Amino acid sequence: MRAHLESLLRARKLDGTLDTAAPWRPRTGEDLAPAGLPALDEALGGGFRRGHLSEIVGPPSSGRSTVLAHTLGAAAARGELVALVDACDRFDPASAAAAGLDLSKLLWVRETGDAGRALKAAMLVLQAGGFGVVAFDLADVRPPALRAFPFTTWLRLGRAVEGRETVALLVASSHLARSAGGATLALEPPPGRPRARWAGGSDRARLLHGVVLSPRMVGGTGSEHLTCDGHAPTASRRARSYEEHDERSTGHRSPRDRHQSVRRNCNDSG
Amino acid sequence: MYACVRSARVPELAKDVAAQFSPRLQRYGAEAVVFDVSGLGRLLGPPDVVAAEIAHAARAQLPALLSEPSAFDSGGGGAGPPRFVSRYGLRVQAHPTEHGRVCSTGGALPEDVSRTLRDRELRLSSPESRAPGPGKWLPLRRAGIRVTVAPTQVCALLLSLAGEPTAVVIADEAGALAPLPLRRLQQLLAGIHGVTVLRGPRAGAAPGTGPPGWPAWPACAKAFDMLQRWGVRTLGEFAALPAAELSARMGQAGVALQLVARGRDPHPLVPDPEVPRFVERMELEWPIDGLEPLSFVLARLLDPLSGALERADRAAAAIRLELRLVDRTTHVRVLQLPAALREARVLRTLLLLDLESHPPAAAIDVVRVEADPAPGRVVQYSLLERATASVETLATLTARLGALVGEARCGTPVLLETHRPDAFELRRFDGGGRAAAVSVAGPAIVPALRRFRPPVAVRVRVDRGRPAHVAIDRRGMPGGEIVQAAGPWRTSGGWWTREQPWDRDEWDVELRDGTVCRLHREQGVWFMEGVMD
Repeated sequence: MRAHLESLLRARKLDGTLDTAAPWRPRTGEDLAPAGLPALDEALGGGFRRGHLSEIVGPPSSGRSTVLAHTLGAAAARGELVALVDACDRFDPASAAAAGLDLSKLLWVRETGDAGRALKAAMLVLQAGGFGVVAFDLADVRPPALRAFPFTTWLRLGRAVEGRETVALLVASSHLARSAGGATLALEPPPGRPRARWAGGSDRARLLHGVVLSPRMVGGTGSEHLTCDGHAPTASRRARSYEEHDERSTGHRSPRDRHQSVRRNCNDSG
Repeated sequence: MYACVRSARVPELAKDVAAQFSPRLQRYGAEAVVFDVSGLGRLLGPPDVVAAEIAHAARAQLPALLSEPSAFDSGGGGAGPPRFVSRYGLRVQAHPTEHGRVCSTGGALPEDVSRTLRDRELRLSSPESRAPGPGKWLPLRRAGIRVTVAPTQVCALLLSLAGEPTAVVIADEAGALAPLPLRRLQQLLAGIHGVTVLRGPRAGAAPGTGPPGWPAWPACAKAFDMLQRWGVRTLGEFAALPAAELSARMGQAGVALQLVARGRDPHPLVPDPEVPRFVERMELEWPIDGLEPLSFVLARLLDPLSGALERADRAAAAIRLELRLVDRTTHVRVLQLPAALREARVLRTLLLLDLESHPPAAAIDVVRVEADPAPGRVVQYSLLERATASVETLATLTARLGALVGEARCGTPVLLETHRPDAFELRRFDGGGRAAAVSVAGPAIVPALRRFRPPVAVRVRVDRGRPAHVAIDRRGMPGGEIVQAAGPWRTSGGWWTREQPWDRDEWDVELRDGTVCRLHREQGVWFMEGVMD
């Protein structure tokens, strides 16, 4: 009986709030916003889902800001407006521009650590509408400040973006929330493996090629915040661990190449 | 009968004076305005009385120059005499009073200006006295205003060039113009056609075609050369030349020029179109305090203003709000709008959001709203493009965000043309235009940097010229043993200009816990610039 009801709801596309397990199924069409990274988009099934709240979580140097910059850049390249509510003023325009983001299409709201005020700003941006991607960067907000928010805060965020053509993204150091149709992109490097890729031998001949992206996708409906019966979500997981490494790059990844001053090895021991 | 007001130094003054007497006025060049005074004879009297009234109005306008200063310099904190620049750009200097009182020259001075003058026992220069001081300070008496009244426009214009402050011609305009030198006619036509250099190798051509009916400038220039070679020096001599022979040698242009020299108008007066002003004003029966009641007043003012803009197919590029307060001061706010808008609701929201950040200091007596008109926007949407936020929505959103986090904390970043790290500026966000979507090949994955603003001071232990350990006192910041390092990358700049110079060695390091961060050392002090993420 229950399965029959759920199938009827899914057939009428009214299954957005079902909290039962459902496999992560790729969607096609206009309701997806590609992230600009081919392998990541393939894992997402085409991109982040519009009208839903998704999140990118991981520890420092796991690639959260890299994925965010490329997602914003891909949206701007499609002609969409993008917004970033930066709770701790961490955004670097230079490296984002190097990643392909058209800064003229970016609305950047710089907060200085007040997560509550940043949340109000994010709600204003979501309610105004007209943006392709709205990102809320809470990665460096201290966990006690985040725990002070009631869980309804994230429900309101999800409700603000519901039915719109906007992708709402949360960037955090640990799982916060996502809406029923959103995705959690957990960037967790495999244990024992370095997070960064280096090239070269000695210090003076070594170059940082970037951080290793090891995303794990968590999809399906329901999240730890939305489950009412206390059970852990039983959403199926399809974990893919991979590395992105561009063999063609000759050192353009690092913002180092913006410095056109002569780079010379310094013999000064400091 | 026509009158001409010419003001060489204060062009706006001529039009203001002319507008007091007649709506039928026409501007000739940048300095002169001619207007029709035919009907003023019944009201004021003979032409000489009309001329005297116009001259009196022009002189009376001079104190108004002092009463609307556009910039006030208090004199370097009291060291020098205060000075201010009037609405018309004239600079006025204040002088010590003889009896310690301030003499007002007419018109209401702003409260802060009056207070400063009273505190420092200074007075303003009156229009009849010279203002001592360096040559750059213009005495008011020499504002260069001339008033002429004549039966024709040409006669009034030519006499205003003659240099007399006031001249009246009742009849026989040709006889009145005969003694004038020929160069006055040349000067008049050059001014009408916009030519600034008359002689020499840099003599210029007319930038445009000039007003209709007047002889074209190239033909006039040739005619003046010919007349000079013939030895014709005055307008009377030129007018006395036989018309048939003049036509044979100069053509129709010469004949038309001769008619002008005799004081005949080549074209009837074509009044300048009146520039509409979009102003709404309301005097309140009792003072209001607070933004909520002001919101209702603004709604009553902005609805008709918006309607007037729509009927004129105009929109507001800027909106000026003046609130006269109960303490006799005026609270003025000017909003430069990101795009021409005319929706009353949006304008009211923007004004209220601005007043939240800049509230008036006292209760409000009078509310005045003026819109700076601009052509309305023509927007055509496409069914094939994804809908984006409208200009009104973005303007309201940026105003709300500015009120929440500060106007300097939201916008679109623009990278500066410098190699200085973290060099950017925030500008108003307007959506970046409506450029078509660009399909670009996916770039190589560029790691993003999460910057600390300002960079965090750290303690670094260096081992054989290489950073080996990072320690920091702040909680939640990365630190520990360094397992990988690349550098140093020396970067410097700005030492040749006034901008802040920098000279640093940068390192990319990976810590034991896997965090990749950027360090730099400047003047012997280590900083953590950010974390690669």
